[in-house]
Amino acid sequence: MRRVTQDLLVGAVFSALSIWLTGALLHSTGSTRAPLPSAKKTEPAWPVLADSAPRVASYEIEAKLDTERHRIVGRETIHFVNRSDAVLNELWFHLYLNAFKNDKTLFLRSPFGAGRSGDKAKEYGYIDVKKLTIRAGDGQDLWLARDRHSPNDPDDETDLRVPLSTPLAPGGALDLDLDFEDQLPELVERTGFVGSFHFVGQWFPKLARLEPNGAFAHFAFHAQSEFYADFGDYEVALDVPNAFSVGATGRKLREQRAQGRTRLVYRAENVHDFAWTAWDRFEERNERIAGTQVRVLYPPHQRQNAEAELESVRFALPHFNARYGTYPYPTLTLVHPPEAAANAGGMEYPTLITTGGPWYSTFGGGHFIDVVTTHELGHQWFYGLLASNEHTEPFLDEGFNSYAEAEALETRFGTASVFGGFGLSVSSTALNRLFSAARGADEKINQGAAEFATFRSLGALVYSRTAIVLETLARVYGSQRFNHALGVYTRKFRFQHPTTADFLGVMQSELDSRAVTLLTQALSERATVDYLVREISNAPISAAAGVFDGPSGREQKKPEAPHQAAEYASRVVVYRHGTLQLPVEIELGFEDGTKQLRHWDGSGFTFNVDNVGPSQLVSVNVDPELRILLDDDRSNNWLSSQGNSSPLCRERALYAAQLLLGAWGP
Amino acid sequence: MNDGRAMRANGLSTPAAAAVLLWISRTVLGLLVSYPLLLAIKASSMTAGPEGDSVLFQPGSLLLLELLRLTAPYLASALQLGLVLLCLSAIIQLIPLAVALDMLSLPGRPLLERLLRGLRLFPRFVALGAITLLVQAALLLAASLLGAALKPALASADERLRSVAPIALMGLGLIACGVFGGVLDIARATLVRRASGEGGARSSIAQALVCLKQRPLGVLIGVYPSVAGSALSVLAAAWLLTRFVPVQASGAALALAFAVHQLAVLAAIACRVRWLDAALGLSAASD
Repeated sequence: MRRVTQDLLVGAVFSALSIWLTGALLHSTGSTRAPLPSAKKTEPAWPVLADSAPRVASYEIEAKLDTERHRIVGRETIHFVNRSDAVLNELWFHLYLNAFKNDKTLFLRSPFGAGRSGDKAKEYGYIDVKKLTIRAGDGQDLWLARDRHSPNDPDDETDLRVPLSTPLAPGGALDLDLDFEDQLPELVERTGFVGSFHFVGQWFPKLARLEPNGAFAHFAFHAQSEFYADFGDYEVALDVPNAFSVGATGRKLREQRAQGRTRLVYRAENVHDFAWTAWDRFEERNERIAGTQVRVLYPPHQRQNAEAELESVRFALPHFNARYGTYPYPTLTLVHPPEAAANAGGMEYPTLITTGGPWYSTFGGGHFIDVVTTHELGHQWFYGLLASNEHTEPFLDEGFNSYAEAEALETRFGTASVFGGFGLSVSSTALNRLFSAARGADEKINQGAAEFATFRSLGALVYSRTAIVLETLARVYGSQRFNHALGVYTRKFRFQHPTTADFLGVMQSELDSRAVTLLTQALSERATVDYLVREISNAPISAAAGVFDGPSGREQKKPEAPHQAAEYASRVVVYRHGTLQLPVEIELGFEDGTKQLRHWDGSGFTFNVDNVGPSQLVSVNVDPELRILLDDDRSNNWLSSQGNSSPLCRERALYAAQLLLGAWGP
Repeated sequence: MNDGRAMRANGLSTPAAAAVLLWISRTVLGLLVSYPLLLAIKASSMTAGPEGDSVLFQPGSLLLLELLRLTAPYLASALQLGLVLLCLSAIIQLIPLAVALDMLSLPGRPLLERLLRGLRLFPRFVALGAITLLVQAALLLAASLLGAALKPALASADERLRSVAPIALMGLGLIACGVFGGVLDIARATLVRRASGEGGARSSIAQALVCLKQRPLGVLIGVYPSVAGSALSVLAAAWLLTRFVPVQASGAALALAFAVHQLAVLAAIACRVRWLDAALGLSAASD
C-alpha cells in the first residue's frame, strides 16, 4: 500500500508539472521577431477623405420574419437616381435568393465542394416579387413585363431585366415600390436558417449597379462570385418575435414591442447592402472602440470567442483606420454563428461581419478567431468603402484584404500570426506563399470570379497570390512606402467603385512605372519568376609561369601549386526564369568567413557575379532576406561548398523516432 | 565477464545498466527509422544553402512550408517507409527489453547468456505484443464507435458536450490501453522470471490478469508514474529548448539540443525501468 501511495503521489506531481509545462509551451510562439509597430495614428500627405458617396439606389424596407416557416414578407421602396450619362430604358434586378430555388440554377448546378459554401441547399429558398410600380406613375405593374430568366440561361432567375414604360433621362429619379416574399433556404452560402437561427443576406430585390456609361453591371449569381452594388441609404424595419435578438447593418433607430412581436428600425447611410440576423439564443457584448459602437452577438458558452473577437477589433480597427482611412460608420456588428450554422461564418456586409469557429477556438496556439475577425473587418475597407466589382475583379477586394489581414496580424503577433506554440510559429505570409506557389501560374489573377476553373484556384490566386504580389512589392519598395501608396489608394477611392486601372494609377504616382509593369504582369499576365544558381567556380590566379627575359637576365618561373595562389577569380551565374524582372540581392560567402552583397536589377536572364579576392567563394544565397516571395522555387536559390547539410533535422528526426519508439514500442 | 562485474567496473547499478541498454537500442533503431525522412529532406536542396537546415526552423515557417510544398510526395513516401521501419524496430526492440527485464530479474549473469535468453523469449514477446495490440485496437475501436453512437443522442446538447464527449471517450480508451500495457509488462515479467521454456504467452497473460485481480491498485497506479514521468521529461525538454536554446545549426546550440533531448529520452526510459522493476515484483507476488 505504501508503494501505491508513493506511485500515486509521484504520478500526480509529474502530471501537474506536465500540465503546467503544456500551458507554458502553448504560449511559446517561436516568434523571435517582435510584433511590428502599429500604423502611425497620423501621417502627412493623405488625400482628403470623402465623407459620403453619391447615392444612386436607396432602400426603405419593411420585413416581417416568420421564424417557424422561415419566410419573410416584405415591402420595399427604392429611391433611384440615374447618375449615368445615358437615358435608361430598363432596369436590372438581382434576385440572389433565387440561386437556391432548384438544382438547375446557375449557383446550384455548379460542381459543389468547389463553391464558397461547400454545401448544396437542403431546403430550397427563393424570392417572389409580387408587384413593382413607379410611385409617380400610372400604377402599372412593371414586374409583369420582366424577362422570365437571366440572360441566356432559362434555368436561372437571379438576374432579371425590367423594361421601363417611360425612359429615364440622366439626372432623373424614380421611386419604385415593390412587394416581395422570401422563402429562406436551409443555410447555404451565408443565407438561410438552421433551427431558429436565421441569417438573412442577399434577400431583397436589389438593383444592379449602374455604371457611369448607363450600363447596368448585372450578372447571374454564380457559386464562385460575390456582389457589386451602388451606394445608397438603407432604412429597414424588421418585425420578429419578441424572443429573438436581431443584429443588422447600420444603427438601430427605434424598437417597439406589441402583440408578442418586436419591430426594430435600422438605418445605414452610404452603404451598398443590408444584411441581418435573428436568433432566440444570442448573447451579446458591447464596447466602444475607436469611436465606433461595437456589438458582438454570439452563441451561449462562447464568451471566450466573443472576447477574442473584441480584442481583435480593439487592435485592428484603429490599425486599419490609420492605414486606410477612418471607419466612417457609428456601429460595427460582429455575428458569431452557432456551430450548426458554421456556413454563415466568415462573411462581410456593410457594418456587419460574421466570424465563426467552435467554442474551443481560443485554446492552443492558433489564432483562428483573430484571422477571421481581422479579415472580415478589413473588408469594411476592401469591399465596404472601396466597392469594387467583386464579380469581374474579385482580387481587388479579397486579395487586397488578404494582404491587409496579413499585415495587421503580423503587426500584432509577429511571425506567429497564424499559429504560435510549442516553439513553432506560422505566419500569414508563409501560408499565403504556400497556397500562392502551389497554384503559381495556373490562371491569371485578374479575371472574373466565374471564370476561374475551380474555387480552389480562385482561392489560391485571388486571395493568396494577390497578397503575395503586394507583399513582394512591399518588400522590394519598402513596406512603409508601399503601405503609404496603398493608403493613398484607399483614401482616394473611398465611397467609390475603383477598378484595376484606378489602383495602377495610384501605384504609378506613388511608386513608379516599374511597379505598374510588375503589377500588370503579375496580376493580369500570369507572369512568374524563379531565381536560381547552378554552380560556383573558383580559379586560382597564379603568377605567370615560363621563361622570362628581364633586365637581370633570363628567369624561369615554375607554375605555382593551386593552394599557393594569392588570389582567386570566383564566379557564380544567377539565372532568372520567368518574365517578372524583380530586383534581387545576392549574398556571397567566402572561405575566410567574409560576406558580400551584390545587387541585380533583374534585367536580362543571367547575371554573372564575379569576384577577385584572397579567399575562395564557398556559398551563394540569392535573395537572402526573402523579399521576392513570388520566387517559384526557393530550393534552387542557394549553393554551399558544405553541401547539403542537415544536422538540425538529423537531431530532431532522431529524437522524434526515439519518442515514437518509446510510445509505441516496449 | 558477467554483467554484475561489468556494471561494478563501470559504476552502474542494475537498473541504470538496463536503462542504458534500452537507450542504446532505441538510439540505434531511431537512427534507422529517421533515415528515409532525412534522405527526402536532403533531396529537396532546401538545406543546401550556406545556413544549412537552420532555415527550416526560422520564425514564421516560410521555408519549412516551402520544403513541405516542394517535397510532399517524397516526404509521404519517406514517412511510409519510416512507418514500416518503425514497426520492424518496435518488434526488434523486444530483444533488448527481454534482456533488460532479465537484468532486473536476476543480476549477475553473463551478458551473452542474457542475450541468448532474450532471443529465446523473443517469439513469445512478439506473441504477447500481438495480443496486446489486438486488445488495444479493440479498445480504441470501441471508444470510437461509442463516440459515434453518442453523436445523434447529443444532437440537442450543449455544443461543448458534443465536442468533448468523443474526445473524453477516446481518452478513456487510451487510459484503458495504458492499463492493458501495464498488464502486458507484468506478463513479460512473468515470462522472464520463469525458467526457460516454461509457459507461453497466453499463460503469462492469464497470470498477469490474476495479478491485476489481486492487486488492481498496484497495477493501475504502478504504471502511472512511468507514463506521467515520460510525458514530463518530453515536455520539460521542449520547454527548456524553446525558452533557452536558439534553433541554430551552430555546434554549441546543436550539442545542447542533442543533450537535452537525449536526457529526456533517458529520463523517460528510467521511469520505464522503474516500472518494469515493479512489474517483476508484482508478478512474483502473484505466483
